Amino acid sequence: MAVLCGMVLLRLSACASEPLNLEPLNLKPLMHRRLVIILFLATLGLYAWPVYHWVSAGIRDMGTFVADPVKTPIPPEAPFIYREFVSPDSGSGVVHVGSICELPQGRLAASWYGGTREGARDVAVFLSIKGPEKASWSRPKMIVDRVSASRELSRYVKKVGNPLLFSGPGGRLWLVYVSISVGGWSGSSLNVKWSDDAGITWSNSLRLTLSPFFNISELVRNRPLPLSRSGFAVPIYHECLGYFPEILWLHPGAAATDIHFKKSRMAGGQSFIQPSVVALGPSAATAFYRCLSHEKAIGTAVTGDAGATWSEPQLLPLPNPDAALDALLLSDQRILLAFNDSPVNRETLRLAVSHDQGRHWTRIATLENAPGGEFSYPYMIRTQDGQIHLAYTWDRKRIQHVVFNEAWIEAQMKGTIQ
Amino acid sequence: MTTYVFSFVFPFLLATALLQGVAALSGRKLRGWGAALVLGLIAAGIVLLPLDGLLAARWLISFNANFSIPLTAILFSKVVEPFFKIRLLDDKSILTCWIFSLTAGAVLYPMALGLGQMDPYAAGWGFSWLFVLAFSVTVVLLALKNRFAVVLMAAILAYNLRLLESTNLWDYLVDPLLVVVACVGIGSKLVARCKA
Repeated sequence: MAVLCGMVLLRLSACASEPLNLEPLNLKPLMHRRLVIILFLATLGLYAWPVYHWVSAGIRDMGTFVADPVKTPIPPEAPFIYREFVSPDSGSGVVHVGSICELPQGRLAASWYGGTREGARDVAVFLSIKGPEKASWSRPKMIVDRVSASRELSRYVKKVGNPLLFSGPGGRLWLVYVSISVGGWSGSSLNVKWSDDAGITWSNSLRLTLSPFFNISELVRNRPLPLSRSGFAVPIYHECLGYFPEILWLHPGAAATDIHFKKSRMAGGQSFIQPSVVALGPSAATAFYRCLSHEKAIGTAVTGDAGATWSEPQLLPLPNPDAALDALLLSDQRILLAFNDSPVNRETLRLAVSHDQGRHWTRIATLENAPGGEFSYPYMIRTQDGQIHLAYTWDRKRIQHVVFNEAWIEAQMKGTIQ
Repeated sequence: MTTYVFSFVFPFLLATALLQGVAALSGRKLRGWGAALVLGLIAAGIVLLPLDGLLAARWLISFNANFSIPLTAILFSKVVEPFFKIRLLDDKSILTCWIFSLTAGAVLYPMALGLGQMDPYAAGWGFSWLFVLAFSVTVVLLALKNRFAVVLMAAILAYNLRLLESTNLWDYLVDPLLVVVACVGIGSKLVARCKA
């Protein structure tokens, strides 16, 4: 097919330079002044439509950040921490890239991908529901795999990967996931699905065109920020020739199946991916980046205009072994960070807290530390009851879920609990 | 639905061009409505051929879903040419297309792939300088009676009708294959001029 396409393309490119044996149709008289005026007016009309659509559909401004979506006042409570596994043991297979979100009535939903190995053709995206109260996680249900993605998108899908699950207004559950038609992760495209019945049924996948170069190399990992106008700022990243963080601005339209989206860049270059963004106010936010460069340290940048522009990335005095991390705003404006505390491996998963919007950090707890293990890809949310839920990959075998409250963080700060 | 139907247009034109190439190689001259109809039907059969659960056209779309309108227009012009002895796009308009595509590609792709902080691709969502620029180029080309202006009009019409999977204007104006075609086209013109 590629050879045939090449032949046609060569033929096409040659058509400008080859002398034609055919008698060309003389269209010149058709381009007379009256027609040109008509075409000019038609051009005006054609360009007026997108301007009208842009103004009327309200996609000009996606809104500002909702800094603290937790509205319920949190009563004082005793420190606690609770651990459990979300997914069953994967045996000889792998699970990875977990995300978690809150559903109505205090329920939780978690998503991850699993298969025989990372990037294998049998990898599928799974969903599990928990709650309310002390109920255990439901048996994982497959949401999408390469076969269903191929069917829904009506195209060849070689494999699927990184899922991101989050809930939005009206109780809608959103899933953004990666699909690959050619190559490895750099051949990724992003797709979106949604469910209006808490994950029982799902819409067909919708492919998002986010790159002009065959729409490849767009991936997702970190928690989205809710926006004031019902949309989301979803941190995404590009990895092909360049490696850089971006934001996908996702906005549900008037119709249930109508989605507006656009993308903006947080930084250029080849050093930082997988942004974790913490909104500090309607227009202010701090981002933390996974670092690919030899510095092996977490990167950070700030915005003061609701994500339109970002400062040049700076390095924090915290190591990063080329691994995902996650940051979360606490109720008193401190920032909680879950990260692999090593420049070389993912054996240690720690929590740190910053009082000054991410400039200085205090390590408060070690959640995992086992030589040869992998405890990676932390993902945190704060639920309406004030509890913090952390999901992460546990040795590539399971998705671990850790729940704690801010009182536990305080206790850790004071060193009263080990 | 419109997007899905339109996704068959480029594969159909490509299949027709390939069939024309095969016919030319075998020494057959295909002229008139009859030949166009026969070849069109065969091409339609090819693109609608189910292969491993997918239609052949959708296999092509799997690897590039957004063939730009200028590339489609040039292919259409090239396919129509031998059947009806007409050239919808003359040399001047095709050369304009090559220059336009090369310029757009040179601006767009390096920066979109990470060169620098700015991403010109972001300008393709919603009204921006890109729309003003595309409008201006169209008006200038209309004033110069260059037929590529009509192709640019078709591109903005296709954008308004969301005929491609993309919602970004850049994808309606240029695509990587068009840039490759433009490079080869201009390169071969330069070589021909040097030889002359």
